[in-house]
Amino acid sequence: MKYFSLTLFAVFSLSAFSQSILLKGGMVHSGTGAEATLQDILISGNEIAKIGNNLTINGKTQVIELNGLPVTPGLISPMSNLGIVEINALDVTRDDESDILKAGFSIFNAFNPHSTGIPWNRSNGVTSAITSPGSSSFPMFGLASYFILDGSLEIKGLKDIAMFGRMGASYGSRAETLTILESLLELGQKASNTPVEEILEMRLADQLELQAQDILALNNLVNNGLPFVLETNRAVDILQAIALQKKYGLNLVLSSVEEAPMVIEQLQASGIPVIIDPMDNIPNSFDELGSSLLLGKVLDQAGIKVMFSTQRSHNYHLMRQGSGNAVAHGMSYQSAIRGMTLTVAETFKLGNRGSIIEGKIADIVVWDADPLEPSSFPKFVFIEGKSQDLSSRSTRLTERYTNKDDKPSSYKH
Amino acid sequence: MKNILHLSALLLLITSCSDMGTLPNLDLEDQKDYFASTYTPMESEPTLFKSANIYDGLGGEFIGYDLLVADGKIIEFGQALSNSGVKVIDASGQWITPGIFDIHSHMGVYSAPGVSTSSDGNEATSPVTAEVWAEHSVWTQDPQFALALKGGVTSFHVLPGSANLFGGRGATFKNISQNTIQAMKFPDAPHSLKMACGENPKRVYGNRRQSPSTRMGNMAGYRSAWIDAVEYRDGMNERDADQRPTRDLAMDTLKGVLDGEILIQNHCYRAEEMAMMIEMSKEFNYQVTTFHHAVEAYKIADLLADEGICAAMWADWWGFKHEAYDMVPANIAIIDQARNGTGCAIVHSDDAVGIQHLNQEAAKAMAAGNRAGYSISKAHAMKWITSNPAKAAGVLEHTGSIEAGKDADIVLWTHNPFSVYARAQQVLIDGAVAYDMNDPKKQPITDFDLGIINPQINRVQ
Repeated sequence: MKYFSLTLFAVFSLSAFSQSILLKGGMVHSGTGAEATLQDILISGNEIAKIGNNLTINGKTQVIELNGLPVTPGLISPMSNLGIVEINALDVTRDDESDILKAGFSIFNAFNPHSTGIPWNRSNGVTSAITSPGSSSFPMFGLASYFILDGSLEIKGLKDIAMFGRMGASYGSRAETLTILESLLELGQKASNTPVEEILEMRLADQLELQAQDILALNNLVNNGLPFVLETNRAVDILQAIALQKKYGLNLVLSSVEEAPMVIEQLQASGIPVIIDPMDNIPNSFDELGSSLLLGKVLDQAGIKVMFSTQRSHNYHLMRQGSGNAVAHGMSYQSAIRGMTLTVAETFKLGNRGSIIEGKIADIVVWDADPLEPSSFPKFVFIEGKSQDLSSRSTRLTERYTNKDDKPSSYKH
Repeated sequence: MKNILHLSALLLLITSCSDMGTLPNLDLEDQKDYFASTYTPMESEPTLFKSANIYDGLGGEFIGYDLLVADGKIIEFGQALSNSGVKVIDASGQWITPGIFDIHSHMGVYSAPGVSTSSDGNEATSPVTAEVWAEHSVWTQDPQFALALKGGVTSFHVLPGSANLFGGRGATFKNISQNTIQAMKFPDAPHSLKMACGENPKRVYGNRRQSPSTRMGNMAGYRSAWIDAVEYRDGMNERDADQRPTRDLAMDTLKGVLDGEILIQNHCYRAEEMAMMIEMSKEFNYQVTTFHHAVEAYKIADLLADEGICAAMWADWWGFKHEAYDMVPANIAIIDQARNGTGCAIVHSDDAVGIQHLNQEAAKAMAAGNRAGYSISKAHAMKWITSNPAKAAGVLEHTGSIEAGKDADIVLWTHNPFSVYARAQQVLIDGAVAYDMNDPKKQPITDFDLGIINPQINRVQ
């Protein structure tokens, strides 16, 4: 709980006084991996007060009849740029890169809760997200933070919850990348009993132009179990990553892992969770020759914890389509739901989120149809027990341009 | 296309012979159609699909129909067709659609792996490169072809990139990997000319301190080229060969557009820029066939319908650049429904992953349209990835729908193709089984894929 922000607690206690809501008769996917069952969910304040059938309620409770509609925990993106990148090709709208900091670059203070990507993803069922620094040529990009996507200016989330980085093809040799990565981890080891100033004077730290923040982050990574999300694809690189996990006792999460099926036994034994884009079966580089649509299935059948990323331009909700494709190719349905919810919360220690269980925070989505079908859409989105507005710039523009009044569109509002 | 290529060949003869002061005795039938398709269908056997559910790609839905294909063509579909002497496939409960057609692909010109040596899609050395042809860049062993095939894509149109105002010619292909480009080219398909609006050309050339660096610079660049093209066209129409200009590859392409033989495929995001491109087409008297990406097409949906211009769009991409900021997921539906449903909407990919799932992209667009208040059926939405793109590529008479006499380019799906769980079970191209999910011998493995993991293991699909 070291990384838990204070504002999170404050906001929870304030919202505890809002009224109760009963979601009656939904097909509830709890996020735990259990089969869905027809249940009522009583939301009281910001949390899930009760789950069951024929729950008794008081007169003040608002009842919403679901008639069997699917219900899931709010989706959690494990890897996004929400709140820190407005338009990718416009640097002035980007806050995801640093010229000075490396491992210690935190994006937390750049988060803009008014970024248009937030209502868009929220209306599509994503209730919270991990926002990570953009990739750089350095093997560690910096620190990701977790954000609740209710659009509030009082930012709710968890600061600096994971390090993101990459290992594999680069402009130099991957052997060099690996050497630098190991040297950084060794600096992190030293940081447990060496003053930061002293480490900064070491030759490598000096050569790599490391700052105090970088050393503190390396310390958390190596000595305090900070999750390290490392992107890697080539089978032999995955084995190198597993070796690093063992040697330095890292809390490793591997992302992309397109050639994981070739080293599935070692990956399984390592217990490392993974983040994949199940639709990316393109051999985009010579590191990814083994990419395939079967990745989700192979990982799932080995019992490896799978989460979902998507590279599709600000559309983090499309992890539904990605996981749906994984299911179409043999992944289990409930592993897919879990991978978008509880698995993310567990892996990154996001507190009481990611499942529909009594006592958990009420981040809940009611869907108009199968949530893994990309054509389905939320009927209701609850964040911390509050029903969210499902509008976005897209819905406003759609209203404007389907309005046939005979006047300039700038007057249709 | 045949005509213009005949003419090009003829012009070569003219320039070489005119030195002798005499016109050769030209026989058009003798002129070679350079770079023409040499595609021939794979071997096929007459096949009857029994009791299938069929979307015909023209808006029709037929439940429990039989479909007969033979000699590479669709023979007929109806109820209780005779099955004597043909292979019978029980397709009950399954769905058949026309082969998926992608109007915007860079397969082959941006091959996988996406390394610098395979980056052949943008001749970004000058804003006007109408002289280049995308097909001259295509790598026949691109592993992306086979992946798209597995997604039901039987034909696709390969375009140059969008760095330039005029990016060059695009070409249409049948999705059978072969060892020459010509062997993959869709027979008798017209060329297109790729044009690009907006941010890309002005960024690429503005960064080099050359024109265009602004949108107005873009417009000036197009118009100057069209002025030259009109002069070239008129010159080429001179009766006296001595009066004709020297042959120019870029001008040949622009002339082909003015003559109505080459179709304009125009990368353009913003509404006012699309309207400007339409105005320019009237200034120089040519037709825009399709606006591509067209993130703001919904703002001028009636104009596009009135002008008979298609829009090829993504279901939901946005935010990666400023001109893609005003995305609405109902864009495709709004275009489709414009002017009492006379609009021409296309779902395109521009992406090697997206091309494998165009059915899912259409499903998202249909659902978004219906949420916006329309009543669009699956049968109707199927047009967006079959007949409409085939029309926009100028090959609707050959493919893009299930009609007697057309090429037997069809997909047999495991489930309804608007579901994420649907996979292409069989893909037929000209009646031949190009892909069968249950038969490894009927799954293409490109040279690139073969033995690349280790000598005994092909790249997995």
